[in-house]
Amino acid sequence: MSPDQPEPSQDLVKAHRIDDSKSTASERYVFTPPIDIFETADGLVLRADLPGVSLESLELQIQENRLTLFGRVETLLPDDAVPLHREFEIGDFLRSFILSDEVDYERITARLSHGVLEVELPRAAQAEPRRIQVNAE
Amino acid sequence: MAVFRLGQTWDPLRDLEHEVDRLLQGVNLTFHGVRTGRQYPAVNLHESANEYILTSELPATAPEDLELTISSGVLTMSGQRRDEGEIPEDRFRRQERPRGPWQRSLPVPDRIQEDQLSADFHNGVLVVRLPKAPQEEPRQIPISSD
Repeated sequence: MSPDQPEPSQDLVKAHRIDDSKSTASERYVFTPPIDIFETADGLVLRADLPGVSLESLELQIQENRLTLFGRVETLLPDDAVPLHREFEIGDFLRSFILSDEVDYERITARLSHGVLEVELPRAAQAEPRRIQVNAE
Repeated sequence: MAVFRLGQTWDPLRDLEHEVDRLLQGVNLTFHGVRTGRQYPAVNLHESANEYILTSELPATAPEDLELTISSGVLTMSGQRRDEGEIPEDRFRRQERPRGPWQRSLPVPDRIQEDQLSADFHNGVLVVRLPKAPQEEPRQIPISSD
């Protein structure tokens, strides 16, 4: 399996940027979150750091063989707050991955806890040999 | 990211650079601090009318592993980045997320009500509210004259 494609596709970034321009005037940052991918007995597990993303603001979707995660981060600060010291920027998280045929797309599950998304990508069962019925005329 | 940055790298030095990188990875130092020259975790500080607000992104740190203390104007935060289960190193296809214990101490602005500090930790984001001490009333000094 070769699930990873490190850079988000440009199209997706653009699509989200266009969406943003409709809703808010200010430009938003889009970050590529750090991830881990490891193998288990059942398949692969992907973990991504998504601090500030809630269940409601997380989109996880599969299109064709591409798994895309997009997490929107809302600022938790009151409107009148003035920055005094800044070491990180607030932005949304976007990353996509190419899944191989070995993954059983139907059984993918995900959960979010403590700002970490965990996606389980179970290995597809070995394709059973299929008997093809031959009909005689 | 390389640890050594030299204007002109030539091959033997590049090898050394790679070797040091490899060694550091092996020791598994928290790479946010050591490798990028920035302290982990990164913090932002904002000021509103009646409080200072410190925010920090701390994914993978469980609330029970997070500790905050304040003493003599220094806020110390410590915790541990930890995931469920032990994953053997050879199982990883890709490993970008830092792990392990971390600690950071920060001087807080003057005139804070240290006993009124409150913290909120949701979805891996820590928000610490430091209420400002009320402005002291100007105090009239009585003047006596003979």
